[in-house]
Amino acid sequence: MLRKRIIFTLIYENGFFNQSRNFRLQKVGDIRWLERNYKFQDIAFSLDELIVLNASKSDKGMAEFAKTLSELVDDVFIPIAAGGGIRSLEDAEMLFANGADKIVLNSALHIDKNLVEKLVEIYGSQSIVASIDHKGHDEFISDGTQKLNICLDEYIQHIEDMNVGEIYLNSIEKDGTGFGYDIGLIEKVTGLISSPLIIAGGAGNERHLIEGLEIENVNAVATANLFNFIGDGLQYARGELHKAGIDLAKWNVDMLPDLKYIFHGRDK
Amino acid sequence: MRVVIVDYNMGNIKSITSALKYLGISEIIVSNQGAEILSADKLILPGVGSFAKAMVNIKNLKLDKYLEEAVMKESKPILGICLGMQLMCESSEEDGLTDGLGFVTGKVERFSSDGLKVPHVGFNQVCFEDNSRLYHDMVNMSDFYFTHSFKMQSDARINQAYCDYGSEFIASYEVSNIAGAQFHPELSQINGLKLIGNFLKSF
Repeated sequence: MLRKRIIFTLIYENGFFNQSRNFRLQKVGDIRWLERNYKFQDIAFSLDELIVLNASKSDKGMAEFAKTLSELVDDVFIPIAAGGGIRSLEDAEMLFANGADKIVLNSALHIDKNLVEKLVEIYGSQSIVASIDHKGHDEFISDGTQKLNICLDEYIQHIEDMNVGEIYLNSIEKDGTGFGYDIGLIEKVTGLISSPLIIAGGAGNERHLIEGLEIENVNAVATANLFNFIGDGLQYARGELHKAGIDLAKWNVDMLPDLKYIFHGRDK
Repeated sequence: MRVVIVDYNMGNIKSITSALKYLGISEIIVSNQGAEILSADKLILPGVGSFAKAMVNIKNLKLDKYLEEAVMKESKPILGICLGMQLMCESSEEDGLTDGLGFVTGKVERFSSDGLKVPHVGFNQVCFEDNSRLYHDMVNMSDFYFTHSFKMQSDARINQAYCDYGSEFIASYEVSNIAGAQFHPELSQINGLKLIGNFLKSF
């Protein structure tokens, strides 16, 4: 049976990782800080996927973002999606070459249909995550700064017509609040979405993750909350979700020491 | 051990390289050169994206000939991952009917999307036979990470393991020196590392 997923989203801006609240960013630390407080080789075992988003405002600094991505994902054996500011095939190629298994598109969905279709053709639907930033009755692009005059169901239709693989639905109002997902919004749209659905914005604790995953058509819950899930927060949350009967994948972390360098020195 | 990852410009090779390093493989080579392929102890055929485009790339690089020689004549062990697993079949109906490498009996078809979300994305359980080499020392119905819109079917006996999404499809096969996995072991946490280790040990 297909399992549900827990995803952690990292918000990157000009070399730093950020806590976002209603899309306003608060600098938390650089990659060294992240390594100290979120040792990815360890916490990755509490996650099903990782998403890394580049929210740098003016100059996206794609090359430096790609380099950080590449450092971040060493020894992490889960799928990585990366995005933010992808405007060309070259941008996408750079992220794929630096450890991304999927790319996340947002503004391009609205402003460059040709690019999206080309990316789907080259990398396949399953490599493309379409991110929708929602507030009130509106959809936004460009890191939440530009409002689109299109209603959500039309926008979903527009996106699914381009054959993207998954939809990442983020609530700007709930983002970073820790008050829980926008359940009303999600319940309203799940019936309209025929792609796998990831919900984001608002999760502050494990009960919110459970609440999200209990909605039938929700395939994955994402949280970007660096403060609320610090240390062993994610490990604890995953345990609580298992206990609550949420259908999540299982693996035995105790097997790991037996696998590390197993061929070293005796693989001739 | 010299492990050659066959590079034909389709997909993320970094995570496979990273998994092999973690397991302590001394020589990891990413190449599209015939000589390198023929010098390998074990081969990995990765890939994501379009079947038809992959076959064009493979033929342009003459990799079909080198793989045929290495895998079918010299019996070098090979693990196909995701699209790589599908490419070793006879054909796929992706983008019209395209011939594959034909090392393994089976065909690739689209998921019927009747009430089913396609692509099939996420961890799903794999049901395997006790005597499987790929899943040696693993618990049946272990979880692996899938992400694909096409699936493989075969009537032949290719020691298939199964996954269920809407209906059963082939999650992996193992025929003498040839193995294929529809899922991504390199993205499947500890279960995937274990499976790659099993391939390198027992094929």
